[in-house]
Amino acid sequence: MAGNIRPAGVFDTSYDEDMAIFRTPFSKGFWGIAFLLLLLVPIFAAMHLIPHFWVGIVMRLCITVIAVQGLNILTGYTGQLSLGHSAFIAVGAYTSAILGRELGLSFFVILPISALFTGLVGLLFGLPSLRVKGFYLAMATLAAQFIIPWVIEYPLAEWTNGNRPLNVPAPVIGPFNVYASYGDDAALSAENSISLDAGDTYIVDYVSIFVSSEGEELPEISVVQAILDDNGNVIADDELPNSQFTIIEGDETTEIRFVASKEALYTVTALPTDTSGASYTMEVTARKALSFADENAFYYIAIPLTVLLVFAGHNIIRTRTGRAFISVRDNDLAAELLGINVFTYKLRAFFISAVYAGVSGTLLAYETNSLSLDFFSLQRSVEMLAMVIIGGAGFPLGAVFGTGFFNVFNDVLIPRLGPFIREGLLFMLPSVPVENIFAAINPVLFGLALMIFLILEPRGLAYRWEILKIAWKIRPYSY
Amino acid sequence: MTLSAFWRKNQKYIMWGTYLVATLLILYWLAPIIADQKISRLIQATVSGILIGGIYALTGLGIVVVTKASGVFNFAHGFMMVVGGLLFWTFFTTNQINVTFTATIILALLTCAMWMTTVIEKPQGAFWDNMSKSLIGKILIGTGIAQLTQPVKLAKLIGTTIVLALVMTIGGDSWKWMHAIVGTITGSIFLGLTIERFAIRPLVGQPLFAMVLMTLAVTEILQGFVQFSWGPLERTLPVFDVFKDMGIPSPIRLDYRPTLDGIIIIRTELLIAFILAIVAVIGFIIFFRYAQTGLAMRAVSEDQQLAQSVGLRVREILAIVWAIAALLAGMAGVLAGGATSMTPAVSFIALRAFPAVLLGGLESIEGVLVGGIVIGLVEQWATLLFPGMQAGPELAPYVVLMVVLIIRPEGLFGEKMIERI
Repeated sequence: MAGNIRPAGVFDTSYDEDMAIFRTPFSKGFWGIAFLLLLLVPIFAAMHLIPHFWVGIVMRLCITVIAVQGLNILTGYTGQLSLGHSAFIAVGAYTSAILGRELGLSFFVILPISALFTGLVGLLFGLPSLRVKGFYLAMATLAAQFIIPWVIEYPLAEWTNGNRPLNVPAPVIGPFNVYASYGDDAALSAENSISLDAGDTYIVDYVSIFVSSEGEELPEISVVQAILDDNGNVIADDELPNSQFTIIEGDETTEIRFVASKEALYTVTALPTDTSGASYTMEVTARKALSFADENAFYYIAIPLTVLLVFAGHNIIRTRTGRAFISVRDNDLAAELLGINVFTYKLRAFFISAVYAGVSGTLLAYETNSLSLDFFSLQRSVEMLAMVIIGGAGFPLGAVFGTGFFNVFNDVLIPRLGPFIREGLLFMLPSVPVENIFAAINPVLFGLALMIFLILEPRGLAYRWEILKIAWKIRPYSY
Repeated sequence: MTLSAFWRKNQKYIMWGTYLVATLLILYWLAPIIADQKISRLIQATVSGILIGGIYALTGLGIVVVTKASGVFNFAHGFMMVVGGLLFWTFFTTNQINVTFTATIILALLTCAMWMTTVIEKPQGAFWDNMSKSLIGKILIGTGIAQLTQPVKLAKLIGTTIVLALVMTIGGDSWKWMHAIVGTITGSIFLGLTIERFAIRPLVGQPLFAMVLMTLAVTEILQGFVQFSWGPLERTLPVFDVFKDMGIPSPIRLDYRPTLDGIIIIRTELLIAFILAIVAVIGFIIFFRYAQTGLAMRAVSEDQQLAQSVGLRVREILAIVWAIAALLAGMAGVLAGGATSMTPAVSFIALRAFPAVLLGGLESIEGVLVGGIVIGLVEQWATLLFPGMQAGPELAPYVVLMVVLIIRPEGLFGEKMIERI
């Protein structure tokens, strides 16, 4: 590829140099600083140097980058068109959400399980590649895009909540034990108190109270936060305001959750509002385990994982498997004659791509805390294909560029340009309703951008970046 | 004998044995569910399935025509249907004669202009040979205006415009039909030519991936255009009311209570749409078999270079193909919209027509008819057997698609592809 062009007289002198990802100290430093800056985003946000919503934006961007990198491996490197990528993300997201909800597993257990499971589903829908290719395979993935959401919505509705949003619990790391658990049928009039001791090595993040009631009404919950000094004397005594509770209604139990922000003695009182004799069961749970109820904590999981997976994707391509992928894309018949088992390599590409989708789905599920099938439409698959094309299909940085361009285009450019276009159209065509213009701007601009890239630069932004780098390296003499 | 040698020797028998066992298992699973249903319900589902299959066949035909001739799998077909249907709605419901008249003339002129820029040819003669060296001459030739110096072409253009104008000026409710049909035809042809000219032609020679994405981009733009021009509203397309006025009952009820314990309802709209769709499909089969243009299209689909070398204008034929596909899409859109209601959701019919196309075989025009009807049947049966799960429209066609891809990728009537290096 063009990336290896260097000024005349500069050669690799060892195999290590030839294989290096960072060829110069400058590039190593550049990417290192970029990674550091990325890690510092929440700290900058906390220092009010940048607006706080950037943390969420960067995180969502990274989650998309993982998925697009997977699609890039399948479509860009192996040449197998996939129209069902967002369905695979849905598999990952729902698997992890169900594992977290039903079993309460640690995040680090959930992540590989759901990634592998998504990979297996990907293998299943890659099976037609035994006999077909091209359009036919695109149709198989289109079938996946419709069959998977149907399976999630109807037969699995018991676990996935059907087409209604599914709440995802905050992810838990480490020993997934509970610190204190009080369950007592007659305890509702009594007081349950939990003391959260000082000097623990774990951070206590939240306290959950599960109430199962036969009556409709929730009990009246009040929590008193008492801060103690070293001798056990109460220094301050506050009742938490209602706004600090989160009430998560489940099918059988209602979870009332609040964040224990300080080391204190919390006294939970629950009084039944219904005096007709309905019985409540209360279970007070303080999670001692480290969890990511805090947004910034999850950021530090998502970002390193993204960097790791983007590099892993790049490295997969540099191995024997990756070279086989590229040969399958360039000419599958020739690849077969060279002794490459085309079918197994196509299946491997499907598997890897689906694993990436699964990781992305897991992160998405725990980042948004609420899943709905609308996230995983055909439209989303098309958008991700567009990201691959715009970024550069078959380039290591294609996913990053594509996702970046698409999000800048969608979140920055269209909100800026939109008003002008709207005003102009309203001026020229006053008879068209405003809401029609609103609805039309996004798809038309997206379609036009994709069309322009396909016609003018089908190799994408990453190719331009390579050209730019070469031009810089051999400046001012192009030989 | 090793296991792999055994597999290689008996591969065919093992595969077919597996398929047989799978079929028997599925039948064993379905038999009690089918037995639970009333026979009249089953017949009802079969009848509705066949009728809906007609629309799928018509939609699939538009996809096959494009795929056959140019090798592009047209994902934009669904929104071409929506645009056609909504154009028809606009012309059909607007009562102001001058509006429809102006719109049709503008569309017709645009279509002519698009056609001329599509088929660029330099007129014969010394005058144009000299002119082609100057800038003005280049522009005139490049935009196709130069072709108007040829008497035959000029006469054709003027004749078409006069006929259109005459048709559109004749007012009255009974001519509303003519207005709508003429407007939709000109609009659809314009749409097809525009897509071919600006989206497909620049990508000739690019990989398949780019082509598919281009049609998806066209889908986005058409979606935006539909939102812009018509909004997201649901509209009834009163196309089939005229049959009610003619005395055909709607819906047709067949009373089989004594024999089958039920009434079978045939929706008149679906029946008429089915008949029209079948007529259109058969008409196009005849067109591709006997008409000169149709034969030329088949030749182009076989081998573009060879077709060019025997004197066919490949570029012109590809443009015609897209115009025909857009016409078919418009017709399918009008029929589907008239049978149900005209919303952007009509575009999903095209997605469900893809399984029909693959089932019939991507190269086979006759196969589309069978494929469409099978998909319609499967859809209605799935709706009947698994109620409350949207199994019909949302799942069944794609399950059929997966089965076809695994068992017989070339479809029922398709040609088995032999790859040559």
